[in-house]
Amino acid sequence: MSTVKATRPLGQPSRLRRRIKPVKIASFTALLITTFLMLLPLFFMVSTSLKSKREMLKFPPTFLPESWAWSNYADIFETLQFGTLYKNSLIIAGFSVFGTLLSSALVAYGFARYRGRGNSFWFILLLSTMMLPYPAIMIPQFVLFSQMQWIDTFLPLIVPAFFGSAYNIFLLRQFFSTLPEELFDAGRIDGCGELRMWRTIALPLSAPALATVAIFAFIYSWNDLLTPVLYLSSSDKFTLPVGMASLTSSRFRIPPWHLLMVASVLAMVPIVTLFAIAQKQFVEGIVLTGIK
Amino acid sequence: MKNKMKSKRYALLLATALTGAAVLAGCGGGKSAGNVAAGDSGAGNTGGSGEQVTISHYTIDSEDRTFIEKLIPEFEKEHPNIKVKVEKAPYEQFDSKLQTLIAGGNSPDVTSHYGYGGFAEYYNKDMLLDLTDLIKEDGFKAEDYHIPENLMKIYTVNGHTYGIPVNMYVTLMLYNKDMFDAAGVSYPPSDYEDKSWTFDRMVEDAKKLTVVSDDIAKTQYGVDFTWAERDMRPLYFGAEPYSEDTWTNGGVPSETHFDSPEVIAAYQKLFDLVFKEKVSPTSEWSKSVAGQNGDPFVAGKIGMSVGGSWNLAGSNDFPFKVGVAAVPWGGNDKVRSTLFVDPLLILKDSKHPKEAFEWIKYLITTEVQEKSIELSGGNPPVNTEAAEVYYKHFDGIDPEDVKKVYEGAVKYGYESYNHLITNYSQINDMFINELQPVETGHKTLEEVMPVIQKKVTEIIQR
Repeated sequence: MSTVKATRPLGQPSRLRRRIKPVKIASFTALLITTFLMLLPLFFMVSTSLKSKREMLKFPPTFLPESWAWSNYADIFETLQFGTLYKNSLIIAGFSVFGTLLSSALVAYGFARYRGRGNSFWFILLLSTMMLPYPAIMIPQFVLFSQMQWIDTFLPLIVPAFFGSAYNIFLLRQFFSTLPEELFDAGRIDGCGELRMWRTIALPLSAPALATVAIFAFIYSWNDLLTPVLYLSSSDKFTLPVGMASLTSSRFRIPPWHLLMVASVLAMVPIVTLFAIAQKQFVEGIVLTGIK
Repeated sequence: MKNKMKSKRYALLLATALTGAAVLAGCGGGKSAGNVAAGDSGAGNTGGSGEQVTISHYTIDSEDRTFIEKLIPEFEKEHPNIKVKVEKAPYEQFDSKLQTLIAGGNSPDVTSHYGYGGFAEYYNKDMLLDLTDLIKEDGFKAEDYHIPENLMKIYTVNGHTYGIPVNMYVTLMLYNKDMFDAAGVSYPPSDYEDKSWTFDRMVEDAKKLTVVSDDIAKTQYGVDFTWAERDMRPLYFGAEPYSEDTWTNGGVPSETHFDSPEVIAAYQKLFDLVFKEKVSPTSEWSKSVAGQNGDPFVAGKIGMSVGGSWNLAGSNDFPFKVGVAAVPWGGNDKVRSTLFVDPLLILKDSKHPKEAFEWIKYLITTEVQEKSIELSGGNPPVNTEAAEVYYKHFDGIDPEDVKKVYEGAVKYGYESYNHLITNYSQINDMFINELQPVETGHKTLEEVMPVIQKKVTEIIQR
């Protein structure tokens, strides 16, 4: 160590040198390796999406495509009506997110702010609906919507979102009840009604929770396969998961994995974008709630 | 403040627990959809001749099934009073959607058993329309459509016909010509009457083709013998696990013999390919080489692959030269090939059975069956006249070989059990689970087969 000290130029702070401890190097290397491992499937997905049909079948699989088949990205629009599927999925997911946010935030606000008789009873009743698996309500719901003539429309996929979702209500209620009572008192003194307090006090302060709910709602709707399969029957109304499932549906053919990977890469884009945006909101939300 | 933080943490914990519970409940509830009885069947309007009606054909959303959409315009031109609508679902959701549609009073008119459940399951759930009267009224004769009489019998229970065959897959052997050439082994024969082509000779050939190396890229195996579904495999060696009455009463066996010495010996012979002769890959190896839905044969790592003739459909894309051969003789003089004959069925709740029957008849005419081969990318027709076109469909494979293999398979064929036995999706799942430890070498057949025998009995009685 003494030689190290001797060769150190004058005036150089020794702190710099001390910062790169072996422990740090080790932990940094470990992090790098983990990151690499986590990104590997993602990398392989992108790489497979650029392989030709023949190369896709090769074993051992090639790491990078031998010839870059960029045309796959054009082909998917022909084999799958990809544009239509994408548009449908976006419409349904957009309305679902809006509906879930609106209804869940309102109901959660009520549960968090009002102390009424039987409050906890209703809340437990609400939570117990989470225990019902979808297949249990699948057929009654289908009968209901088919009598309303909603089959083969987007309505059965969108309207239920406007009636709250137990999990998200629960999540928001817990967040709303952490908001300081003083804020609402101040609001009331200034003459706010409950709805206005909900809109101007509770909602802006709950950006992190709302962002979480939005992400949940979006991902749920974006990935949902069974509900669109049940309710939609015309191909031009299908959503992305339905179209993508059709690529692996034949038991008798080799699935076109390369095209499926193209579809997966493109389907991932909105989720990554939304997460990037919502993450920023998330941080801002914490900054704004400085009063905590 | 601190208290609030604490309560938040509890809330999170509770939320996690509740989500967990919901997930668990979801797993247990999966079956409920299937148990709901069919709902109201709607007005009994059979549709007069002049009135325009719409029938729906429910099928799998994949190119080899949805090609029927392209046949509709021609049909509608010939039948101006009938409109056909195709409804589709991915394979995995096929059964749930069908059950829901029926229960919700929106039953499709025409479908087939394309999901996990087979014909017998539909029949025993009372979902199917008895076509006998329709056939009589219409004067329908199978020979007019070149459908062999023995194929018509498959979907006839106690003299009542419930389905009209449309496609016929058989079990055949595909072999990798490049691999045979490299090892200097002569090609297997396509002729079922060639008595020298036996299971034992296949094993001998397979030994010459097998290369086991530490380098996974160099490892290759001689044969992959996936003859029929797991419960049917003893039949190949002449052992019969289900009692005779199964095939006449709609798929409910009065007795099963999965723990009999003959059945166990038959399974032993198949597992010996992997563990004793070492000419077949373990299931782990196959998965690692070919991925989830894949087949190591397609990756060029298997010399001979015995399996369904659907494997042929992809053969034009295989990165090596392919040949077809007969399934070798394994000790059963009557049965050497499994047939997978897909019928078209009319559902009981159909509001327009007559029109649905017109559509079915259209789909099995020689002209449409021939056209369907190209449109579907190689679906085997049931119509023997159209079959001549099918034999010529595959690049680089001698049509004469395909023809011989198909004709031999029909002569020595038996319909796949998955279409004929009730509650089959549950039987099949159980077999996959119970045989898993044997496939990985952790348990012996003697340990496992009595358990399977017990469980099959339970499932059948459900």
